Amino acid sequence: MYVEFFGIPRERAGICRLEVQANTLGQLLGVLASQVPSLGSLLGADGLNPACVANLNGDRFVSDIATPLRESDCVLILSADAGG
Amino acid sequence: MPFGYHGHYLRIDVSCGGAEFVPLDEAVLRQFIGGSGLGAWLLLHEGAASVDPLAPEAPIVFAFSPLVGSPLTTSAKFAVGTKSPLTGRINDSLASSGFAIAGKRCGCDAIVIVGRAPEMSVLVIDGKDSGEAMPAVRLESAAEYRGVACDKTEAGLRACLGSNFRIASIGLAGENAVRYATISHDGRHAGRGGSGAVLGSKNVKAIAVRGTQHTEWAHPAELTQISRSLSKRSFGPATAKYRELGTASNLLTFNRFGALPTRNFQSGTFEEAASLSPEQLNETRSKTRESCVACTIGCEHIYSLGNGGVRVEYENLFALGSLCGISDADIVLRASKRCDELGLDTISAGGTIAFAMECVERGWLNEPWLKFGDGDALLRAIEMIGAREGIGDLLAEGSRRAAQAIGHNSITIAPQVKGLEIPGYEPRALQTMALGFAVNARGADHNRSGAYEVDFSNKVDRRHVTRDAVHHAIETEDKAALMDSLIICKFLRGVFDDFYAEAAEMLRSVTGWDVTAEELHQTARGIVSAKHEFNVLAGWTLAEDTLPERFLNTPLPNDPAASLSRERLGDLVAEYHRQRGWCDVAPETTGNDTARRDT
Repeated sequence: MYVEFFGIPRERAGICRLEVQANTLGQLLGVLASQVPSLGSLLGADGLNPACVANLNGDRFVSDIATPLRESDCVLILSADAGG
Repeated sequence: MPFGYHGHYLRIDVSCGGAEFVPLDEAVLRQFIGGSGLGAWLLLHEGAASVDPLAPEAPIVFAFSPLVGSPLTTSAKFAVGTKSPLTGRINDSLASSGFAIAGKRCGCDAIVIVGRAPEMSVLVIDGKDSGEAMPAVRLESAAEYRGVACDKTEAGLRACLGSNFRIASIGLAGENAVRYATISHDGRHAGRGGSGAVLGSKNVKAIAVRGTQHTEWAHPAELTQISRSLSKRSFGPATAKYRELGTASNLLTFNRFGALPTRNFQSGTFEEAASLSPEQLNETRSKTRESCVACTIGCEHIYSLGNGGVRVEYENLFALGSLCGISDADIVLRASKRCDELGLDTISAGGTIAFAMECVERGWLNEPWLKFGDGDALLRAIEMIGAREGIGDLLAEGSRRAAQAIGHNSITIAPQVKGLEIPGYEPRALQTMALGFAVNARGADHNRSGAYEVDFSNKVDRRHVTRDAVHHAIETEDKAALMDSLIICKFLRGVFDDFYAEAAEMLRSVTGWDVTAEELHQTARGIVSAKHEFNVLAGWTLAEDTLPERFLNTPLPNDPAASLSRERLGDLVAEYHRQRGWCDVAPETTGNDTARRDT
């Protein structure tokens, strides 16, 4: 599956997109912590920092680390605040 | 009188130069606080709802707040209140920085201006030597500033009057009564709804203020502690987006979600969005950051442009970029800077031009040069609007009035609600925001309703919102009403664990009132209701609380799931009114939390 970064997560990651393997959101965050250490404090043991949110395929926002992921999913990690 | 207030407003009639202090009852201040809330009360009190907003008798309000001048971060803000010449409904637009502090130091909690000066003038309010008496008020000729850009007017006046004056000014657009003209201060704009046209209609090119009066704080030690805590949190992750990237970082996010309005809302994605993104701009341009006075966030990202720079915000990039089909960043930045100089609201300017571009495309408007994607056409249209020349005279009226003149049922594609052009949140892709746009008192607006927060959460299905979303939308509107009345910047919203409780602490430490979170909930609802009451008095009907036909009968072409019907939006609007307690729209029965104007 792919992870796409937007806003501050993209700024921290230094990349737009990354291919990873994970079965749950929690696993995915663990993989990111390992592969993209610059994400640093945006990733916590219990999930994303509240300043960030995760979305599945542009459809559904998810926060439960037990959320199952499929190989075909695309997980978007973005800044939580959409104010402009 | 409570701490934090002077207890009166300064009322000036520029027809004759007369000025007086008018007392403000403590009950009014506690009920409406300041800023947007106090502005709404003053507009009601002054009878603004029933007058032509460009008539001499129409008031324009500059409202400060008890927090202005305090050490609380982002508190140096003021609200400009008018009946909008664009919508005919209530309007308040906020701006930041030294004008708020200097204006309050003139010894008043608000400035209300009525009348029409005999010639284009600078209104000088000088409280430097007035002690606790009323400041000296005079009018000076602004002949040499006629047609001069906002920033040059402010610089010229400070050089002339003294650097301790703070200036708010209008550009050519305000002088020419463009219905979405802004009031500028120090590079920021009270942007939406045409307050610049109202000031221009009074023949006031600029207002210069300085003063020395201070208000005391009830609990200074507590206030200092609260301020330190808030400032510390303002450096944290909740504001990183604004600090590091600015609002422009929305662009690629929204594009990915199909929520980036493109070519007059014909699409929610722009194939060339990347070229306008801050990520791309950062690679090709130098950038500096600026902050408003008394702000620790520093959200303003100034990109180089020629020999100078231009503030880049998401709303500018969307309205003058994707909405007009423009992908050349240099053009978009030049257009943005030109809007700032002329004193034009970029959202309404871009929205009206994009509407005209689509009318040309459909053969409804015979201006063949005005095409999507043509940067020169965009720049030319902006100049013509500011000067009210040629087609610019029609476009200066905004998209709703332009549609009425163009005919062909073009009102169905005019991107506005109540006459106010829709900001950069595609309503079909963000349907809680669609409700927020439909019901908000000042029209389609992302600052008075933060319902997009709900769409970017797991609380709703953003493309199929149901009644469950309504109370969330109301919560964001109430919260915005309180933030705009205290006033503190909405970019702080992510740092609060319990906003109402912390707001109560702030207000208690400044004013001494034993105010609670629950009271502030009621205050916020009352302020929203007061604005609704104004609109009812101005002729509002329920039929206004909707979206243009395009959004109700056409799904987004590249995202068919993003579909909204008249019936479903109508159901959401009805539920909103029910939860607000506005089932009977007569002003005297708009609910228990309706503003009591006789207090």
